[in-house]
Amino acid sequence: MGFSHVVWVAIVIIAIVVVGWVVTPRGKNQTLIRTSIALALTCCYLMWAITYLAQLHPLIRPRRGNLRVEAD
Amino acid sequence: MSTDFPSLFRSEEMSLVQLYIPSEVSHDTVSELAELGNFQFKDLNPTVTAFQRPFTPRLRRLAEMSRRLRLFQSQIVALQPPLGIPPLAAIPPFTTVGPRAQNAYDELDDKLKEHERRLAEMNRSWEDLGKRKSELEEKRWVLRETAGFFNEAEHRHTEIRTSFDDGDDRAGLLEHAAEYGTLPGETGLSGFDLEFVSGTIERTRMPTFERILWRVLRGNLYMNYSEIEEPFVDPTSGKETYKDVFIIFAHGSELLGKIRKVAESMGGTLYTIDSSQDKRADALREVSARLEDVDSVLYNMGQTRRVELGKIADGLESWKDAVGREEEIYKTLNLLSYDQSRKTLVAEGWVPSRDITAIQLSLRRAMETAGTSVPAILSELRTHQTPPTFHRTSVFTEAFQTIIDSYGIATYQEVNPGLFTVITFPFLFAVMFGDIGHGIIAFLSALAMILYEKKLLKTKLNEIIETFFFGRYIIVLMGLFSIFTGFMYNDIFSKPLSLWTSGWDWPENPVGTVDASSNGYTYPFGLDPVWPEADNSLIFTNSLKMKMSIVLGVIHMSFAIFLQVPNHIHFKKPLNIYAEFIPQILFMWSIFGYLVICIIYKWSVDWSQSSTSPPGLLNMLIYMFLSPGSVDPASQLYAGQGFVQVILLLIALVCVPWMLCLKPYVLYKEHQKIVGQGYSGLTGHENGNGHGRVSTSNDLEEEEEGAGQPVAEHTDDEHPFEMGDIIIHQVIHTIEFCLGCISNTASYLRLWALSLAHAQLSEVLYTMTIEKAFLFEGNGVVHTIFLVIMFAMWFSLTIFVLCIMEGLSAFLHALRLHWVEANGKHYMAGGYAFTPLSFAHIGEDEEA
Repeated sequence: MGFSHVVWVAIVIIAIVVVGWVVTPRGKNQTLIRTSIALALTCCYLMWAITYLAQLHPLIRPRRGNLRVEAD
Repeated sequence: MSTDFPSLFRSEEMSLVQLYIPSEVSHDTVSELAELGNFQFKDLNPTVTAFQRPFTPRLRRLAEMSRRLRLFQSQIVALQPPLGIPPLAAIPPFTTVGPRAQNAYDELDDKLKEHERRLAEMNRSWEDLGKRKSELEEKRWVLRETAGFFNEAEHRHTEIRTSFDDGDDRAGLLEHAAEYGTLPGETGLSGFDLEFVSGTIERTRMPTFERILWRVLRGNLYMNYSEIEEPFVDPTSGKETYKDVFIIFAHGSELLGKIRKVAESMGGTLYTIDSSQDKRADALREVSARLEDVDSVLYNMGQTRRVELGKIADGLESWKDAVGREEEIYKTLNLLSYDQSRKTLVAEGWVPSRDITAIQLSLRRAMETAGTSVPAILSELRTHQTPPTFHRTSVFTEAFQTIIDSYGIATYQEVNPGLFTVITFPFLFAVMFGDIGHGIIAFLSALAMILYEKKLLKTKLNEIIETFFFGRYIIVLMGLFSIFTGFMYNDIFSKPLSLWTSGWDWPENPVGTVDASSNGYTYPFGLDPVWPEADNSLIFTNSLKMKMSIVLGVIHMSFAIFLQVPNHIHFKKPLNIYAEFIPQILFMWSIFGYLVICIIYKWSVDWSQSSTSPPGLLNMLIYMFLSPGSVDPASQLYAGQGFVQVILLLIALVCVPWMLCLKPYVLYKEHQKIVGQGYSGLTGHENGNGHGRVSTSNDLEEEEEGAGQPVAEHTDDEHPFEMGDIIIHQVIHTIEFCLGCISNTASYLRLWALSLAHAQLSEVLYTMTIEKAFLFEGNGVVHTIFLVIMFAMWFSLTIFVLCIMEGLSAFLHALRLHWVEANGKHYMAGGYAFTPLSFAHIGEDEEA
């Protein structure tokens, strides 16, 4: 079902974050890179998940009165 | 968190170190440390005024040298045609360190003095000559112009005479007058003579001059003037003045004296000229000849001056740099304390603990440069003074850290929100700015700035572009995230993209207003492209964006609250975890976290299959407070909702006294215990406000032993235990947090408002320009021209209004969300910045 997609993607994202965390080479930017990967993926995931969930079971339907464009 | 490498997570660990510098290496040591740029010197003579410090005379000399250099520079810059000043990199460096440095500076001082003297001399004679030249020029003008007057006057005079000669008896009167000598030249051969005054005066003063003379002489004068077309240029100030030549005829030495006085008092210059034409012609010839001489002398002098300035220009940049360095070094040496008996200087200051080895190496290097065998000795001091905050930033993180630093400098070793700002700031910006097209524009422009970084760094940019350039890495990320959020909002320049199958089908043969029917798909990535073309799209996007801002806001704030935990652990204050962090996060999540969960739950339920209609979540939250425990079955979200809400409400209510009372109570208890043991004096460290590193006085004495030097060791201000203060602080903190939770959550709604405004604005712009052009009906050529004009308009407005203006407003709102809503939850910002001695800023401040 729809909701499970969100969960699966979450698992994939977590996996990527973990992999990113592990493979980040040691160095003075290690913390920065790790944090940035984790935060960026989380932020993007959240936004995607919210948009996806909101359209899963829509409460209203698109409505249109102007039919000119549909002519082709 | 690994401590092997510096990170932005916490500020660098700092050490207070003491340096014993033998006075012969002191100069080079300080120079070497400034080159390294990670030593913040402390003022060891705070009681000594600037005038009493040992190196003040030296500094005065240096100040004099830099004044001379500025003077030279201003003269070189003013030179026409311009003379190039070679940049620092193109000239051999000036020796600033080593045993020869002192002599080199003394020589430089002499050299500059000599240059200044010669220049001053040249300028003075240049000025004198210039003045002479303009005087001669004026005289030439006077001679030329008055020739006209004389001719005219003479002509008229003869006319008068002839009329008199022709005439009647009254002619005798004038002849009598001649006999009395009022017309002195009358008896001469020239046949015409009146006394007169001639000269030049500024044009603006001419009318006043005329009026005054008229009044003073009661009209007994004949005045004539003409304008000189060319302006006179003042040789020193370069100001242009326009002047008039005047000639005034009058009689009687008294009157002439008056005229002279008036003319001089009004700033006019008088020139004596002869009334006879021959003599005037001679004078004119002479003046012209002299002018030529003066001109050639001036030209030669200009050439010598140019050569002299050229010589100075060759070394100018390296001298400026050297003098700037020297000034920094002596300013620093003034901060050190001096041990007369042992000929050593004692320095104290903060260094990053990580860099102590590097500093020790540089001390050794300084010893080698100075050519002695005694290096400066470094010893670490233990202290409980608060060290400065130092974040090692890179080109990339610098701008992000500046965003946080402008809110407040982090407390020493506190969790630094700058690390997280790198992502959260561009992301929250992008939520408000979401549009693929605008994102690409922002991304590409910032990318261009990054690619041409080296070139741009060298050129001098104007202030506005400089600001954008400084934030180039922020803008690049903002652009990238905007592209992503643009995909989510399915918005590219206000038009949707259809990348996947839409979840909606329009009916085959539509008549009037129709609804689309769902075909079972859910658009997988972003907003379904059917929505932007539907009439009721706003209803849907508003609901989506509003809920999105609440969800993102609550998560962002919770994240900020969670950042307290590493702080409390690091500063060893477990009390704060269970007396502040836990009740705060519980309070937050029992109200707003619950709302977020309800939002997600409501989305995941298929309400078309449900027996109840979808409930309004806003009302649900309001009635959770107004009528706890009872939920109208018609608008119930899930079974047992009433019970859950009562529990949550109770948790939130319990959290308030928990936050309010637990911490003061525990602190009070601890204090009582300490007092009971008789250690009331040491409470400063025990009451939870103490700093991590505490030294005993024994250690300090050991450090100082043998040094014989006073070490500025202010004991940290240990506040006596004040129950009242703690309670008041806790009450304010609690009220602020509870009210803040509500207002801050509401504050995140700006994400919705701004993104809505951005989308609407870009849509309106599109319909008003390009769409008008598409729908325009006319012949091909007109249509094309119209389209081109409209496109140009749309494009420029997109850049200036949608990208720059809207971008700035979204930037400010993202800034506020970080400063107030997120930083307010955990960031103490009670530190002071680490300002090491460095040569990097020499030459920057003088341009300001």
